[in-house]
Amino acid sequence: MDIQRIMRIMDASYRTCRTIEYALHEIDRRALNAMVLVKRHGNKLAGYGVVAQAFREQAAHLKEAAAPLQHSTAPLVRAHMHILQRRRNAELFCRIAENARCNARCADFVRQSEGSRQRGIAAEDADAVVILRELVQTVARLQEGIAEQEYVVTNGRIEAALSERSGAPLMRVSHEMGVAVATVRDAIWEYRSELEGVLHESSTGI
Amino acid sequence: MKAAPVFEAGNHRWWILYDQEERRVIDSNVYIVESNGQSVLLDPGGFEIFPQVLAALAEVIQPSSVRGAFVSHQDPDIASSLPLWNTCYRHMEWHIPALWESFIRHYGALEAKFSSIPDEGGAMLVGGRKLEFIPAHYLHASANFHVYDAEAKVFFSGDVGAALLQPGHSVWVGGEGPESSKAFDEHIQHAKYFHQRWMPSNAAKKEWIDRVRQLDIAFLCPQHGAIYAGDNVHRFLNWFDGLTVGTALTH
Repeated sequence: MDIQRIMRIMDASYRTCRTIEYALHEIDRRALNAMVLVKRHGNKLAGYGVVAQAFREQAAHLKEAAAPLQHSTAPLVRAHMHILQRRRNAELFCRIAENARCNARCADFVRQSEGSRQRGIAAEDADAVVILRELVQTVARLQEGIAEQEYVVTNGRIEAALSERSGAPLMRVSHEMGVAVATVRDAIWEYRSELEGVLHESSTGI
Repeated sequence: MKAAPVFEAGNHRWWILYDQEERRVIDSNVYIVESNGQSVLLDPGGFEIFPQVLAALAEVIQPSSVRGAFVSHQDPDIASSLPLWNTCYRHMEWHIPALWESFIRHYGALEAKFSSIPDEGGAMLVGGRKLEFIPAHYLHASANFHVYDAEAKVFFSGDVGAALLQPGHSVWVGGEGPESSKAFDEHIQHAKYFHQRWMPSNAAKKEWIDRVRQLDIAFLCPQHGAIYAGDNVHRFLNWFDGLTVGTALTH
């Protein structure tokens, strides 16, 4: 496993969480503004009011679903850094082995302990793959939530088109909502690709 | 390991990583200074707690923002993680007391990029902000530095102010409540032996106190235990001033 790849995952995880946090806050703020706008126009825009409410609820659900994302990365980082520690120790033993080539007793000892070190690394590697799979599942659940949010965006656009004559800038509101949702969708998609890249490497033993 | 903010003003932040899970090695705090998208670690910790430290760090700062580390002295709980950090961050710059350079290289990573701190001290920039290296020799190592951030009024005091606390301890002396003298008195009982046993020189202590009293400090942050804030900073300096050190084995 390339340690720089894990560093990239850590960075992607931090970036994704911040992007989601900001975008969901924006969605909530815009939905709240839309609800105020709807209220000002009375019953004429009641349909859009329902959509705006759905936006807020979806944003809250997504926020809840995204909350464990950052924490879920910590076990992965820990697992890989344990592997790094073990590899570091293994490197030291390799050096000992090189220096001890002419000392048969010492070389035997190093060879025997090499097996147990390799088994330790393999066990840690397997644990890391399990954690990685769980992380991919968490991200997949988030993607399902985003798909629902996109459905609400579409409904919002329809309602906005139907209420166009009211003079309220609902098309603009719907467009901005769509952009915010797309930001979250793209960030999560990118993060999942990064995770799946590592999972592929780990499963194929690269 | 947990992470908590110590100071925050715009893009200038101090974080503490504390209360490590591994109890077989001495409990250590790691501090992170973040400024304009760059970060440095202060006393990044030992080999054994490295996985916890990096995982906690990734929760509060952009991991790729790490540019360097400061090492107050040569002890293993301070710097034995160096080769692991260096594997993760190839371009990291290590600010290290000149006296300890060749000792610290014994931890591995012969190729690590070191920047020597001369005995008289110095400074470094993090995202354009200045961190000063304040001499604290013989407190406890013979070459030892602390870090002062004048803008944040945060002082990283290494082993000075350290206390041996139970797992689950608070970030702050006296917990989240107001800085009462009662809470300070209770806390300082856990710091007394540490200072008497690890600090060897009363003359060095006196010199350090005189130097530090000139600084405007809102938070005094030790590498073990909890942070002294507000009035507790002065309470600590007064207490340390009155303590005779290097005496733990004297009967």
